[in-house]
Amino acid sequence: MDDATITGADLAHIQGIVSRHSGQKWAMIPLLQEIQNEVGFIPPQSISIIARSLGLFPSQVQGVISFYTQLYTEPRGRKIVRVCRGTACHVRGGKTILKLVKQHLGIEEGETTPDMEYTLETVACIGVCALAPNIVVADQVYGHMNPRKTEALFRDHEQRERYAEPP
Amino acid sequence: MGRPTAACPIVKEDAGLQPTITITLDGREVSGQPGMTVLELAEESGVDIPTLCHHPRLPSMGACRVCLVEDERSGSLVASCVAPIAPGMVINTLSDKVLESRRTIVKLMLASHPDACLVCNKGNRCQLRKIASDLDIGAVDLQRIPQLASIVEANPFLERDLSKCILCARCIRACQDLVVEGAIDYFRRGFTTVPTTLGDLPLEESECSFCGTCVALCPTGALMEKEGAYRGTAQTVVQTTCPYCGCGCSMGLEVKDNRVVRVVPGKEDTPNTGTLCIRGSYGCDFVHSPERLFTPWARRDSGLEEVSWDEALHIVASRFKRIKDEYGGDSLAVLGSSRCTNEENYLLQRLARSVLGTDNIDNGGRLYNAASRVGLGSTLGFSGTTNHLSDLEQSDLIFVVGADPGSSAPAVGYAIKRAVKQRGATLLLADPRRIGLALFAHLWLRPTVGTDVALLNGLARVITEEGLVDEEFVGRRTDNLSAYVESLKEYTPDRVEGATGVPALEITTAGRLYARASRAAIVFGTGITQHRGGTDGVRALANLALLTGNIGRRGGGVYALQRENNGQGACDMGMLPGFLPGYHSLADATARRQFEERWGADLPARPGLTALEIMQQAQERNIRGMYIVGENPMVSFPDSSLIGKSLASLEFLVVQDMFLTETARQADVVLPAASFAERDGTFTSFEGTVRKVQKAIDPPGESLPDWEIVLRVAERMGAPMPYSSAQDVLDEIADCCRLPAYSSYEGVDQVDPEARSLDRAESTASRGVGRMHGGQFAEGFARFCPVEYVPPARAQREYPLTLLGGAIPEHFGTGSRSSRSPRLQRFCPEPFVEICEADARELSITEGEKVNLVSAIGRASSVVKVSGSVPEGLLFMPVSFPGTSFSGLLPIVTDPGTGAPSLKACSVRVEKEPGM
Repeated sequence: MDDATITGADLAHIQGIVSRHSGQKWAMIPLLQEIQNEVGFIPPQSISIIARSLGLFPSQVQGVISFYTQLYTEPRGRKIVRVCRGTACHVRGGKTILKLVKQHLGIEEGETTPDMEYTLETVACIGVCALAPNIVVADQVYGHMNPRKTEALFRDHEQRERYAEPP
Repeated sequence: MGRPTAACPIVKEDAGLQPTITITLDGREVSGQPGMTVLELAEESGVDIPTLCHHPRLPSMGACRVCLVEDERSGSLVASCVAPIAPGMVINTLSDKVLESRRTIVKLMLASHPDACLVCNKGNRCQLRKIASDLDIGAVDLQRIPQLASIVEANPFLERDLSKCILCARCIRACQDLVVEGAIDYFRRGFTTVPTTLGDLPLEESECSFCGTCVALCPTGALMEKEGAYRGTAQTVVQTTCPYCGCGCSMGLEVKDNRVVRVVPGKEDTPNTGTLCIRGSYGCDFVHSPERLFTPWARRDSGLEEVSWDEALHIVASRFKRIKDEYGGDSLAVLGSSRCTNEENYLLQRLARSVLGTDNIDNGGRLYNAASRVGLGSTLGFSGTTNHLSDLEQSDLIFVVGADPGSSAPAVGYAIKRAVKQRGATLLLADPRRIGLALFAHLWLRPTVGTDVALLNGLARVITEEGLVDEEFVGRRTDNLSAYVESLKEYTPDRVEGATGVPALEITTAGRLYARASRAAIVFGTGITQHRGGTDGVRALANLALLTGNIGRRGGGVYALQRENNGQGACDMGMLPGFLPGYHSLADATARRQFEERWGADLPARPGLTALEIMQQAQERNIRGMYIVGENPMVSFPDSSLIGKSLASLEFLVVQDMFLTETARQADVVLPAASFAERDGTFTSFEGTVRKVQKAIDPPGESLPDWEIVLRVAERMGAPMPYSSAQDVLDEIADCCRLPAYSSYEGVDQVDPEARSLDRAESTASRGVGRMHGGQFAEGFARFCPVEYVPPARAQREYPLTLLGGAIPEHFGTGSRSSRSPRLQRFCPEPFVEICEADARELSITEGEKVNLVSAIGRASSVVKVSGSVPEGLLFMPVSFPGTSFSGLLPIVTDPGTGAPSLKACSVRVEKEPGM
């Protein structure tokens, strides 16, 4: 990861969060979630700070972070796009929707757009199969997806990206 | 609760107090203690359950599932390594269901394991392969999912091939729970899980200290020693004791075709509990160095030449005899070695006293531990470490001062870290450098170099002023308190802050922490003992321990780290001027007569000279002949140019060593000695326990164990000694030394009477002085010794920086062995000097630059390492590199209490190398 993406202010902020849980091993996961919520991700530089404060080894903290797929050590987009790959969505064309989202955003699963706007993920089911196929953008569910609706969702972004490209 | 069955064969001796639990194991009733696991009970009852992740020295975690057994009542399969026994359990270890599951589990492991057994260096040592063949698994009929992994290690010690990893987490537990380094843990999850370092970096860029513990525990070929060629399975594993530091770790030498092919942690239950350090695991290959001496050498006109043993012994005997006849026995001197066995030191001092007729004998330990011997002796009346290392882990507070156990005594470092991590002990650290333990310290004091006495007195004053003294212990057991309290008056926190640079608040906090801990131990090393005034430092520490009643209690005590493997033993054996074996004073006519009768010779009655006095007298030509065994004064003594002159002015010098050391090059006769792996005997560890050294291979060429050489010299001098083996010597030692550690020593397993006395002191609930003198101090009372702080000499303008010498993990002693270990040498080939960023900037020097260090008496060149571990104005340099003599910079300043030179620090300036 690029060191430049984390500022001194972020680190100070993390120090503040960490210091509230000094010595509390049990607090590791809530602590990590809090950092992620505040900073957007868990910067690798913060692992040693967290470990020392909790009385753990840095490798142990890294082990926990890498175990949970919802904890990230790389910066993520402001909006998370979750395309459902559950059975109901699949039957109703979820695979095509995923393909279209990839096209519109120009990224693969797990990646983030260069302007840090969107991060693309797939999920197994979001629990509203009646609306299949579904996608979730920034915690907002969009049901009965089709190519037109998909385009509408990401049109602005796509155009911005296009104009931003060098001639 | 199941009723205890009296008929059960495996009820433990002490089971009377605890109820036992009876279970049915494979149709047989067996009983065990509550809390035991099924696997432990099965092992005890001789039922073999295969397992990959379980290891008796690691906490169980049930990762591999190979040890599954069937609980007949519920029909379920349980992992026996984590299933506690319960009354009435019926366990089958070999039912069809168990075998089928076990086979499937092992096949699944093999399905993602490379089919490379024939070319795998782990060979017959692989436990996965053994279990597979025990279970009749040949070809694996499952679809293979290879885990591809590349080997990226650049270090000379070990390599990780994670395609062979079965995720048993033995390495992780070894790293986190045994050596407490925490360099590795699981990373990611599911199929992609690997044990790896922070940031998935290669080991040499991580926290890894290359102790080799994980390698020794890995059941497959995933972690292996780096070996040039396939070395195969060892024919024998010889249990012996590590020849490096004073911890006395047991180690196993894997031997094949008269070569030590590998070193593994020993099987014996010594305090190192299955661990070793970088030196123990990888540093013993000096044994097969091509630089070993294979034949005796003697000086001819053209220099040193190979000669026969017969000729060499003839020269030695005749020249010593001539000097003795002409100038008297007092013109001869003998330096024994804190690296040789007890037996060898015993024989050597007998040779010196009864044959050469001189008491001018000393050992290198004088340089490192004389201060602790005298300092503790004058206060506690007991001249060594007061407690066992296993006790240290029971402490509530550990005060580490002037020691970097992580480098100088790794097994002690592990114990301290385990106590902190696992038992929540408080670590109080006083060290100017940021050593590895600083990360674990609750309070880290950073005094200026050489101001320890002021700091310790400051702590004592906090304790006396605030009424934290253990009145009962002090009243009943000690003497001279009032004079001591009086002497502390000056040491107010503010004044101590002025002297040491440690903030007054920290001094007060530290004093309170130490006094309020119910069991507090002190660990000190060369940072105290090798300063001028080292004896006073040790006394100040002993005073602190007495003040708080921390002597003779489990978890309390004072730990004097020994630099050399047998520093304790050499002194115990009387390798000291004025002291016969067992510290019987030479001036004591009765003791002397006993030895005279035993040895059939007259002994000199006047105490002889100490090591440095011998060197000085050599220059005055009062000492004319010298016999140096396993010691390298040219490097280990201060002011090497002066030592060189002393040795050159001798008429006759015999050096007995494994290598042609700097000292041996000056000799008239060099006798080739065997290494630790080539001889029998015993070492005494810093905690005072006697540890066995066993011969694993034959000495190379014509070299001989030191004790045999001494016997040959004695015979040639017309005074043969009646010993045929090292054991004979040990028997005599046990008989005449009257030191409990030796009298109770019976081979490998021993019951320590001191440990028993400690138990007794504990059980009577009186804060006694167990371990020492059966509950009583030697003279009835321990004595407070007031000590005055003497400020270190002011830095002169030409030499503005303080250079501190110390241990590093990769090298040892004078480096005569570790620099000849190819792997250690490759890993840490060059001496360096650490400097802080601010000083480096001021001197405009950069990392990797070569500089000259200049002191009042010498200069040394070294490579700069800019480091955050030293404060401004302080430089650090490892002492263990031959060739760049750190000791060459040190002027001779001796401690008034011991006559031992200060070997820790001096003032220097840094000069840039011209043309850089």
